Amino acid sequence: MHKALHKVLGNESLSSSTFKLQIERDGLEFRAGQCVNLGLPNTGINREYSSYSGEQEAELSFLVREVVDGDVSPALRNLKYGDLIEIDGAYGLFTLPESIPENNSNVFIATGTGIAPFHSFVRTFPELDYLILHGTRLSEENYESGHYTTERYVQCVSQENGGYFKGRVSDYLRENPQGIDKHYYLCGNRYMLNEVYDILREQEVSGSNIMSEVFF
Amino acid sequence: MKVAISYPPILNNHGQKAMVSQNRNVQYFQKPTYLLPVVQAQAATWLQKLGHQVFWDDGNAQLKSYLQWQDDLVLESPDVVVFESTTPVMKFYWKATTELKKLLPETIFIMTGYHSMRRPEETLQESPMDLVLSSSHIDFVLAKLIPLIENNHSNWREICNIEGLMIRMQDGNFRDTGRFRQVEPLENSPLVDRDLVHWKNYAEENGNYLQTPGTYASSVVRDCMFGKCTFCRYNGEDLTFSVLPVSQSLDEYENLVNNYGVKEIFDDSGVWYRGKEAREFAQGIIDRGLHKKGCYFGFNTRFEYLDEKTIALLAKANFRFVLIGLESADDETLARLNKGYQIQHVERCLSWMKKYGLHPHLTIMVGYYWQTQEQLDHTVSFVKDLMFRGLARTLQVTLCTPLDFTAYHEECLRENVLLTQNYDDHDMSKIIVKTPIPHDAYYQAVREMYSIAFHPLFILRQIRFLLSFRKRDWQFLFIYGVRAIRRVRQHIFNLTREQGKSKGRLEQAPLEQAPAD
Repeated sequence: MHKALHKVLGNESLSSSTFKLQIERDGLEFRAGQCVNLGLPNTGINREYSSYSGEQEAELSFLVREVVDGDVSPALRNLKYGDLIEIDGAYGLFTLPESIPENNSNVFIATGTGIAPFHSFVRTFPELDYLILHGTRLSEENYESGHYTTERYVQCVSQENGGYFKGRVSDYLRENPQGIDKHYYLCGNRYMLNEVYDILREQEVSGSNIMSEVFF
Repeated sequence: MKVAISYPPILNNHGQKAMVSQNRNVQYFQKPTYLLPVVQAQAATWLQKLGHQVFWDDGNAQLKSYLQWQDDLVLESPDVVVFESTTPVMKFYWKATTELKKLLPETIFIMTGYHSMRRPEETLQESPMDLVLSSSHIDFVLAKLIPLIENNHSNWREICNIEGLMIRMQDGNFRDTGRFRQVEPLENSPLVDRDLVHWKNYAEENGNYLQTPGTYASSVVRDCMFGKCTFCRYNGEDLTFSVLPVSQSLDEYENLVNNYGVKEIFDDSGVWYRGKEAREFAQGIIDRGLHKKGCYFGFNTRFEYLDEKTIALLAKANFRFVLIGLESADDETLARLNKGYQIQHVERCLSWMKKYGLHPHLTIMVGYYWQTQEQLDHTVSFVKDLMFRGLARTLQVTLCTPLDFTAYHEECLRENVLLTQNYDDHDMSKIIVKTPIPHDAYYQAVREMYSIAFHPLFILRQIRFLLSFRKRDWQFLFIYGVRAIRRVRQHIFNLTREQGKSKGRLEQAPLEQAPAD
């Protein structure tokens, strides 16, 4: 496991609440979808963040939602080029299989910044067959959706008009079953995970084809 | 249906009882700690609410002999018996179930626990168990499974579609119902019916209580929100975590304090709330006036999870006992264990806890298969320093034992360092991996760390700490102090009885599979 102080290379706002933190890689090895613990030096406090960048990319990046009254994310938002950040990791098992079988088709279902590991998957495996269903509150929260081809990214916007679908990601899935042979990866808040799991099981998807990762 | 949630008394050759509950590592003790198995207790509560008859059958906490426990179970003749197991007691359970199946041929036997969930076929092959439950959400699964069995008595094995089961079919084959549901809405599982589970049986003998009667809360986080530590059961590709809303947990605390008169509530979640939720909970305790009822609150946490502001608020809300896994004092070991924190931050966190009057209890392990004398010495001196400076109040040292096919267990198998394949040897009483230095060095380190409790400097620190308590808290001296000395002696006996015996035995033993007798 890698531990070190890394230099911040950039901090880009992607929506009113979310930003992309770019960090010098400095030899850190990880598998797409794994997480690290990020903390500011000498604060004695850190939090887990999933990889957003691909395995081959020269820089690390993380998608961070600023939590009001949070312990770490407001401080991360204030980081600027040249600042240092502590990284512990990488670890975690929310990853794709080491050898991806042919004809492997995936449905990635996320809410908010839960899209981060899926972005990492897609950047790492450009040939991957996938569809992303992304639930957001606002249409501006379609973080870097240009990184996915149009037909592979479905934004479901719940609190205003916009995106591809008006409503929650669970509503979209209920109206648009994706098939029982696909592999479903769920990442985001627990309410979405529970609801989507029930829908998938009602649609006769095997529990063995569903993997979940909870985000706070 | 009549459902027994059962924990048979398990004794070893030294007359010590195994502590199997809470899905934690099993250790044998002469004077055991009785831990309420919280998820099973929630399952029992839920089943009773559904109209089933529940037989809460903890032979350990009810101080039964094995034969008495067995006789009582046969007399009850339940339709279903639910067990929980872990590596060092697997062989016991296989044998016990074989005997019980002869006495209760119509009863359905269900195995739960982290060992069998990793190897469900093994338990079905080695015993007449009817099914193995792979899910850690035992309450949610049983709440669906028991009604299904009741309503489809003749063909439930064929039609059962509940995820996470390995079922023995009538023709002898096994049927896998697929990966279990990883996340459950914990707010849907009822809070534990304390009377149903005879909560007082668990209210006194528990080292995590500074005051008694104490009890365990329904865990606010099931499995672990971190879940990366390689030696821990809460780490696996099929495991994530589920969370209980703050308000529901507060309701339970209010009930326990006001209606049951408990003086200590411990939440044994792998890692308790952090950040915003931790502060919301502490503020909720204060807003409900529970911090003025003389009850202490405690939990498990990780280094680098709680900041000073949160610790200050927790202290104000009458939190005291905080259990933190230090594990080791060298960064290489922490990194290999995926602990996710750095040793440089330990002191800062403990200083905050000391400043606000919390009671940090450190857990340390020795005997990692890579641990050098230098790493071991560094851990011992680091721990001594923390204890003598009053940064930690109490400690617990265990031998790192590969269990339940955790990542560490799998790593030991892969690296060919495991010295036994006899599951009975995984009882944490001896080191069972090849190490770079003699095993006796680790036993000596255990003795040295526990002996801190008898050092004049440490005793002086404890007395100064007690003097800082309010008057009514002096019961701590009598309840916790006496118990602590007993525990320390017991731990030293358990963990060092192998000292001086290891050379030429287990350290160099060839790998062999012990029969499941």
